Amino acid sequence: MPTLTFPLSRIEGHAQVVIEVQAGEVISARFQAMEFRGFEYFVQGTPAEQMPVITPRICGVCSTAHHVAAVKALEDAYGVTPPPLALRIRELLLLGQIVQNQATSLFIFTMPDRTGVASIFQIPPTGGETSEQDNAGIAMRALKVRKAGTDLITTAGGQFIHPVKAVIGGVTSGVGPEQAATMRAELAEVLPIACELFDLYWEMSLAMGERIGTWGDDAPACYIAAVADCRPNYYGDVIRVMCPKGVVRARFPARDFRAHLTYQETDYSYAGQTSYGGEVMRANSLARINMAHCMGTPRADEYLARFHETFGQPAHAIMLFDLARGVELVHALERAMEILANPLDHEDTAVPYTPRDGEGYGLVEAPRGPLIHHYRIENGLIAQAEFIIPTVHNALAIERALRVAAKRYITAERVDMELERAVGRVVRAFDPCIACATH
Amino acid sequence: MEREMNRFAVLQLSGCAGCEVSLLNAEEWIDRYNLVYMPLVISAYDVPEVDVLLVSGGVRTDEDLYNLRRAVQRARQVVAVGTCAISGGVANLGDRDEVRALFLAQAERRHLPHLLPRIRPVDSVVTIDRYLPGCPPTPELFMAVLFNLPDFKASKTVCQECGRKKLTATPATRVLSQWSTRGGKDKRPAHLLGFQQGEVLPDICLINQGYLCVGSSTRGGCRAPCTRAGHPCVGCRGPSDAFIEKESSKWFASIQRVFAAMTDIPPEEIEAALRSPQLALFLFQFADYAPPSGGDEGRAPRPKEKVL
Repeated sequence: MPTLTFPLSRIEGHAQVVIEVQAGEVISARFQAMEFRGFEYFVQGTPAEQMPVITPRICGVCSTAHHVAAVKALEDAYGVTPPPLALRIRELLLLGQIVQNQATSLFIFTMPDRTGVASIFQIPPTGGETSEQDNAGIAMRALKVRKAGTDLITTAGGQFIHPVKAVIGGVTSGVGPEQAATMRAELAEVLPIACELFDLYWEMSLAMGERIGTWGDDAPACYIAAVADCRPNYYGDVIRVMCPKGVVRARFPARDFRAHLTYQETDYSYAGQTSYGGEVMRANSLARINMAHCMGTPRADEYLARFHETFGQPAHAIMLFDLARGVELVHALERAMEILANPLDHEDTAVPYTPRDGEGYGLVEAPRGPLIHHYRIENGLIAQAEFIIPTVHNALAIERALRVAAKRYITAERVDMELERAVGRVVRAFDPCIACATH
Repeated sequence: MEREMNRFAVLQLSGCAGCEVSLLNAEEWIDRYNLVYMPLVISAYDVPEVDVLLVSGGVRTDEDLYNLRRAVQRARQVVAVGTCAISGGVANLGDRDEVRALFLAQAERRHLPHLLPRIRPVDSVVTIDRYLPGCPPTPELFMAVLFNLPDFKASKTVCQECGRKKLTATPATRVLSQWSTRGGKDKRPAHLLGFQQGEVLPDICLINQGYLCVGSSTRGGCRAPCTRAGHPCVGCRGPSDAFIEKESSKWFASIQRVFAAMTDIPPEEIEAALRSPQLALFLFQFADYAPPSGGDEGRAPRPKEKVL
């Protein structure tokens, strides 16, 4: 049987797409994660308190989410409630992650698809006639927005990759007034740049939709997220599943995930797949924006209203994941500025705790969706660890969207060369993280 | 006509992409280097001829092995970037005997790159010109290695970059007693405090507070982001020049001496903690420091001139 293999780039990690075709008929489209390190195995026997330092190494792109999820899982096991200021600082950390990730996905990973180049870096710095519109100008501005996200993680987490400041019971320290003011000024400076780039991205996306004649797989799906429908807090409390018609059908805490989510492995990928009782499910930005009624910050709310008016709620076409990221980028910048405007070193940042054996679940809403760490602790050591990864929730949805694209571009007579670009666009819409998905 | 810019490529083996993310924050290269291959940000499917090849990640699969061997032939200079490339990094924990059998048995998949029996550092496969350690290396360190920055000065150790005040025996008692209401840290610590225990006092050395910090012998250059933020140094940049060409026992002995001078913590407790996975992850990052249970014994240590 003829197979078409597409290596993937501009995503996190090593993956490829394999499409099987017989007599012009698309038989299957597989999304293969190609790497494996084995975290669930090798953390067994580690002292439990080391997990917040070891698990960020699952992924350098998502390290903040793992750092916080690990601390939350241990606090759940030990029965510790961190003080309010610690929660604020952790929220800041996760906002920094949203800024960094959405800016990277929008401008570095997917904008080249809209301008028809291989990368935003390969344009010579003096390449364009107009400095505002040329690609080099875009690259520098995009990196500036992205860097504000990483600086925010540094401010709240100590280090912008593999942060260290969240500890069981709280955070190691607050954010002083000077540091907060500097950070806030940087965010204020990049907010208009982010909006400008997002407007441009929005226009480019409309033009691309026009040009290729589709916004990708738009069949209804279930959506999963761990943020409330108003003023999203990526710190995460309960997981919610929205059915394809737009009604929230289930609400459950992290520890009940097995009752709602069905996990399976395949022999063609180092990453598994989850469904909602057999139904295709989608996590990430579009899930959150489909559930959102308000972002709670002015500019993001304008974008949200425009998004819902233009595309409906819930909206299902996959290219809308990308636009949803832009709404969140703007929101995260605004929300972080709000938090930084208030004192962040005025009270205790941690409470004491006593370690004990048992089980704990830690949930955060990572950029790609709900992330759960589950640990079983015996004699102070990790006896079992599970990492429930958002990209894995999207695996079936990615394959469905790939089949839609493959059927569009493969006929009995020929394979349209647009297919290769379409495969890239489909996968990037979901912004999968292979290091996390395989861990 | 302008001279063509130097070209560089980034080959990512099995790792977490943290090194690449850090490189993106060192954006000054954009005007001075032509990045021609880095799948994370560029759609390009093969490494072309380059001046500098940065390799991140460990050699975990047969595909990693193939890609690495092929890419180095096209590079004038090869730099091993990050703890995983230098030692296999965190995934090295999977090479503990009791774990390896389990995961090789359960994790192997058909139709995919095969897992090698153990994860390998890149210099067990190819010749490396320079090492850039760190988990991840900071953007400044990337700049230093790409441009041989003349004004880049790394301190000898993380300790020298930390800025926290080290208190010797007697004054320690006095100064720390001011903090005694905040957790009774009014004596020389008698036991290690877990990494995750308690609110950290600002400005005072973490060892004085009973944390297992190995910044006193870890190579400087990172500007101590962890200890400044209140988390002990876990040694991700590996041993300083004083220890890098020596066996690990010398490095461990030096850490022991520091704790003996500043605390009353029993040496056995320090020893056990140094060998716990989290620290082992980094302390053993130069494979020559790994216990000789597998195929890598007898390799010459990395010469310190090659290590940034």
